[in-house]
Amino acid sequence: MNFELSPEQQLIQDSVARFIDDNYALEARQKLVATKTGFSAKYWSTMAELGWLGLTVPENLGGFGGDQVDTMLVMEQFGKGLVLEPFVASTVLGTRAVVLGASQQLQAQLLPGLLDGSRQLALAYAEEQAHFDLEDIVTHAKIDGTNFILNGHKSMVQHGASATQLVVSARTSGGQADTAGITLMLVDTDSEGIKIAGFPTVDGQQAAEVTFDNVRVPKSHLLGSVNEGFDLLMQLAVDGILALSAEAVGAMEVLYKDTVTYTQEREQFGHALSEFQVLQHRMVDMFMEYEQAKSLLYRATLEVAQSGLGALRTVHALKHFVGKIGIMIGENAVQLHGGMGVTEELRIGHYFKRLLVIDALFGNSDYHLQKFAA
Amino acid sequence: MDIDLSSEDLAFRDEVKEFLGSNAYQNGEDYNAWRLNWFKLARDKGGWDVPKWPVAFGGPGWTPTQHYIWEQQTAAAQIPWDLPFGLSMLAPVLMNYASKEQQDRFLPDIRDRKVNWCQGYSEPGAGSDLANLKTKAILCDDGSHYMVTGTKIWTTLAHIADWMFCLVRTNDSGKKQTGITFLLIPMQQDGIEVKPIITLGGAHSVNMVYLNEVKVPVENRIGEQDKAWTYAKGLLQHERTGLAGISRSIVALEKLKKQAMTVKRGNATLMDDPAFRAKVAELEVDLLAVEFTELRSLAAAAGGSDPGPESSILKLKGTEIQQRVQKLTVEAGGIYSAAWGALPVGHKFAKGGMSGYLASRAYTIYGGASEVQKDVIAKNVLGIKKSSS
Repeated sequence: MNFELSPEQQLIQDSVARFIDDNYALEARQKLVATKTGFSAKYWSTMAELGWLGLTVPENLGGFGGDQVDTMLVMEQFGKGLVLEPFVASTVLGTRAVVLGASQQLQAQLLPGLLDGSRQLALAYAEEQAHFDLEDIVTHAKIDGTNFILNGHKSMVQHGASATQLVVSARTSGGQADTAGITLMLVDTDSEGIKIAGFPTVDGQQAAEVTFDNVRVPKSHLLGSVNEGFDLLMQLAVDGILALSAEAVGAMEVLYKDTVTYTQEREQFGHALSEFQVLQHRMVDMFMEYEQAKSLLYRATLEVAQSGLGALRTVHALKHFVGKIGIMIGENAVQLHGGMGVTEELRIGHYFKRLLVIDALFGNSDYHLQKFAA
Repeated sequence: MDIDLSSEDLAFRDEVKEFLGSNAYQNGEDYNAWRLNWFKLARDKGGWDVPKWPVAFGGPGWTPTQHYIWEQQTAAAQIPWDLPFGLSMLAPVLMNYASKEQQDRFLPDIRDRKVNWCQGYSEPGAGSDLANLKTKAILCDDGSHYMVTGTKIWTTLAHIADWMFCLVRTNDSGKKQTGITFLLIPMQQDGIEVKPIITLGGAHSVNMVYLNEVKVPVENRIGEQDKAWTYAKGLLQHERTGLAGISRSIVALEKLKKQAMTVKRGNATLMDDPAFRAKVAELEVDLLAVEFTELRSLAAAAGGSDPGPESSILKLKGTEIQQRVQKLTVEAGGIYSAAWGALPVGHKFAKGGMSGYLASRAYTIYGGASEVQKDVIAKNVLGIKKSSS
């Protein structure tokens, strides 16, 4: 048991931290938010050049051969900069789906583009009626010769509008909420019959609504096996939760530290705000819960790296805690910044918004508490 | 980063399990004889009777992982009752600040559990603000002894203690933190009176201790006169680390869940009640987190340094969690939690529940109240300079 980083991990962490320092000041970020795609193609290429897009791709497939711990190190730093590039959508979720589920032939076809950044994936899993249940799927596919015929609607597809392919969960048999009968497939976004409507989310990132109208998907684009896609979907969701939680922990650190700095600079009633004990204790609460979130993040990530879905219960605990504590820290940061806290001018509001969105992705705090207790 | 236990650690865990299993107390055995023998056997294992003592003083020199394994295994097993006052609180002070003669005089008896110690720190006017203490020690003219007069309060087990380690004021001219001295005082002597304080749970464990012109030889002073605040502060950090009780809370929570499953609610049990279940789940998540916070802090201390300010997080979180377990136990007991006295009524676990809960209210007060811990974190960890209220 140890919590030290290997030299390689230290190197990755340092280089991501440097990237954030150099490129992700608030003003520069907000300029990117205002662009059409909502992120920088240049930064995306940089990430590819630095090898981050192949972080968890096995070495024999051209990647770095890392695991969830390596992703955690990257995402924690990304959380400090509120990075906009589709790293979670395309790399943590999409590329992972290809590595875990695609045939060798399909991998050979896709991975070069995924590693150099010319291809970009997104995971289309959410549906309106499903609340947060991954297995509640109405979108359906039936087999017609060498194709699946896909019909239905996917919601809130993160970075769906800029993706070249979507990983789609579809029902191929069974009832609406059965875990059996789910199939994952890779769908080209320029397929006939597909409609993608992009829109921004409240945190300045991008999502899309996607409609499939008799979309033909070659059976060779199958990920995993027919009717048995639920475990793969769950594995992707777990990796997504770990990555977003690491991002959240990075964001929480910025929020509590910014608050400590600000209250020491701002004077009212002839005193620095930080001299008031009632504010000190709130900041201590923020700090302690941040440390607790970090502990759970380490725990869940290390457990998943060791035993995969066997660690699901700890993952539920993590997502519950990160949602609850992220909002608690965000609300307190805003409150302690006073009027300035509710403006777009300071960066804390942007971190708060990201934490709110992270809570809403892959099941919110209450949802995961119920799953944990089940 | 990994959480695998090495093969050495796994072997150690098995060895600990084996030791605890084969030396467990057997019904009918003379408890005290078993207890003293257990410590002797633990000592023969290579310092297992004093896990946290440094190797130089006979400790086992475990890695943080081994300490963690020991905590986990002993929380779930039956081990003899043991008091922290001599072993975990006074001993580190002696090791760091006492003379060789004093170490040789006091440490062996502490290790052999021959002498009961109590802690003379708090006073009616000095609780969380410990430096405000007023108990006066005057060095006599020939320099051979101190005359000590004052009142100590909340002195746990003073009524069975042989000795008290005590903070006294020897100088009140400067800052209140200077002028404090550390004395070791035998309890059985003229001028000392111990009066019980009965706490809300009905228990007698704490006391008032009145000291009236008690004579203490100067060779019972640890370190220098007027300089003991530094020694005392170090001791409080050790005390706070020990108070988190995380492994014990894990065991207690599992017990609570089992108890709640014996409480009927309609056709199901209390554990099927969504509201109760959610409270238990939230508590369990906090425990999963704090358990890993402890591991992180253990790993950080692997170099052998003193527990730092992060130990304050553990005390704060750990004691809150202990209180929440007690609170839920009372909830699970329902109407029977209100019963008092000897007659057995209702669920077996329910009757102890309320007194356990009441006793637990002290957890966030002793060893430095939670609010004081927060002041310490604000200052030492967040780096905030001045406190006003």
